[in-house]
Amino acid sequence: MTTIIATTSAPARRRKLVGAGRRQWIGLLYVAPAVALVTVFFIIPLGMTAWMSLHNWPLMGAHSFIGLDNYWAILRDNRFWNALRFTGYYTVIVTIAIFAVAFPLALFIERPRQLTGFYRTSFFMPAVVGFASASLLWSWLLNVDSGLFSPAAFELGLTEKKVNLLATFQPAFWSIIAMVVWKVAGFTMIILMTGLQSIPPDLQEAAMIDGAGPFARFRAITLPLMRRTLALALILSVAGSVLAFDQFYIILRGGPRNQTLTAVYWIFNQSFVSFKLGYGAALSMILLVILVALSLVQLWLLRKPEGVD
Amino acid sequence: MKTMIAGFALAASIFGSLAIVGPAAAETANIWVRADGSNFMPRIVDAFNKGHENQIKLDIIPNAEIIPKYGAAAAGGTAPDALSLDLIYTPAFSAAGQLEDITDWAKSLPYFASLSPAHVKTGTYKGRIYGLPFSADSSVLIWNKKLFKQAGLDPEKGPTNWAEIEADAEKVNALGGDIKGFYFSGNCGGCNIFTFTPLIWASGGDILSEDGSKATLDSPQLRGAIDLYRSMVKKDLVPSGAQTDTGSNFFAAFAAGNIGISPSGAFAIGALNTQYPDVDYGVTFLPGKDGGWSSFAGGDNFVVTKGTTKLPVVKEFLDFAYSLEGQTILAKYGSLPVRGDIAKDALKDLDPRYQIAAEAMAKGRTPYSVVFNDLINSANGPWTQMVNEVFFGDDVDGAISNAQETMQSIIDQAPQK
Repeated sequence: MTTIIATTSAPARRRKLVGAGRRQWIGLLYVAPAVALVTVFFIIPLGMTAWMSLHNWPLMGAHSFIGLDNYWAILRDNRFWNALRFTGYYTVIVTIAIFAVAFPLALFIERPRQLTGFYRTSFFMPAVVGFASASLLWSWLLNVDSGLFSPAAFELGLTEKKVNLLATFQPAFWSIIAMVVWKVAGFTMIILMTGLQSIPPDLQEAAMIDGAGPFARFRAITLPLMRRTLALALILSVAGSVLAFDQFYIILRGGPRNQTLTAVYWIFNQSFVSFKLGYGAALSMILLVILVALSLVQLWLLRKPEGVD
Repeated sequence: MKTMIAGFALAASIFGSLAIVGPAAAETANIWVRADGSNFMPRIVDAFNKGHENQIKLDIIPNAEIIPKYGAAAAGGTAPDALSLDLIYTPAFSAAGQLEDITDWAKSLPYFASLSPAHVKTGTYKGRIYGLPFSADSSVLIWNKKLFKQAGLDPEKGPTNWAEIEADAEKVNALGGDIKGFYFSGNCGGCNIFTFTPLIWASGGDILSEDGSKATLDSPQLRGAIDLYRSMVKKDLVPSGAQTDTGSNFFAAFAAGNIGISPSGAFAIGALNTQYPDVDYGVTFLPGKDGGWSSFAGGDNFVVTKGTTKLPVVKEFLDFAYSLEGQTILAKYGSLPVRGDIAKDALKDLDPRYQIAAEAMAKGRTPYSVVFNDLINSANGPWTQMVNEVFFGDDVDGAISNAQETMQSIIDQAPQK
């Protein structure tokens, strides 16, 4: 009732205010499910991880508060730092490899031509396979007795005997790189392609009229205008690689001789092989900090330069 | 220990739990078993439920999941009333204060003295009993009779010492083609504690002290056994996949029919008979250097979650499992009997090769350690790394001393409660 009276006495202004207030509430209502999801599935687990990391928390039995002792223990945990060093090495190599394959592919499929749809689909296909299933597939392909690569090379006369690719570090490591590139390059390619397509063709044409060659155009127009796309693809690739686990667990079990233990693998081992959940939680917090820092650095490096849109 | 059964684990998890609802008045106890037991456990639970008012509800959990899952459930207060637990974990679980002390009840059993000694030993922590034997698996040596015949060997006579193993493997290997003399999973800690350490034990050595407080790797017996494997690898008697086999081919390699000799387990008898009836094989003991034999005593201990209210039901079930009927059901579906006094009766209608495995079980040994997982089973632990390096690498001495040092430091750092 009062609303009706109010609207009649001060019509326009009043209605506007009520509307704005209500719109805000409705807005909050709309985001509430998302906020609830983030709270339940991210904020609370993160808080619990942080809380657990301050405890001696075995898988079974009573846990006790030990303050920062887990973090001090990490400082002396050489095998974690070795795992982290290997993870860094892997991230650099695999990111370079993914971009080296994905960028040419993106340039190749960007403009419509004959069979573009076919190429796009077939390059993208491995991306829809889960990492675990892809790892299982490749662990068979790489098997020395019943797989594909070693027996094929032997039958074709390329090697004198069947070579066990997973027995020594270099072939094992590069096999994993090949598998990850096969699996991920298609996805990165699609991201890069959308970036390429968002560059207005007139810019390229103008540069062409000015006499810029293909390489100069790529460096001066394509790359700078793809800054955001590159940032996205890079962050996705780096974050994915720092968290690498499945392929090393399934194909190599961290071998040969524990040379391919990644940081996440080490966290898994501490938590579920040694049953030290609290210590695993502390390691996870450290890895989280490292990952956030890495992402910030990448965003900063690829930030928009002053005055450029 | 038997990673090849991981595949079944998936199937088991899909089937989920076998819930059997009993009459309202009776009590129902919840029991978990790892997927290795997915063959015999449902049978014995079914038989129990049919003849008793109290009921058992069984959940089958994938091998790799059962420890973390039980830990999480215990923390959340939803742990099962009892658990058929890989016996090597019993010391760790007891040390964590997770299990009910069942000493008095166990000692009141008239057949307590004839229960599998290896199980009872791992089920005992600081003088109290927390676990009793449930299912059993011993390690044995199996050989392919068809290939032995083709190679001009006596197909009815398995090797009885190390020299014979190597000589027989060499002869079979000479058949050529895809046929190889010997197989072992060279990158699998569980497989090798199960089948490689008996070679050492049978020769008088050991890898851990009796109470698990000292690693004793650097022994002539260990080096001798290593030399045997290295020599066979060097002579190319072993498929090259063995070097990176983390256990997935532990059973499958022999079952394919192209391997002359392979160390394996009692479980292989049931698996070969049902899944590979065409393979004609013999079963013998894992021998020592100059004869004698030994075996790993594997299988599950039955443990009770601390504070459960269903203890009477659980005891009733275990009583049933220890009866001749229960032991016969277990034997028929893939576990060796755990009661020595009636083992012969339980096995009398079964494949005679089980007798060898049962005999091996009776004298079987199990290393005792609260950090067994860290030391031995972990794919990244010192034992797994060592066996891979000493069988295939160049630096045997370095690998042994490195493993000795790492194992000792893990033992020393273990929580002593």
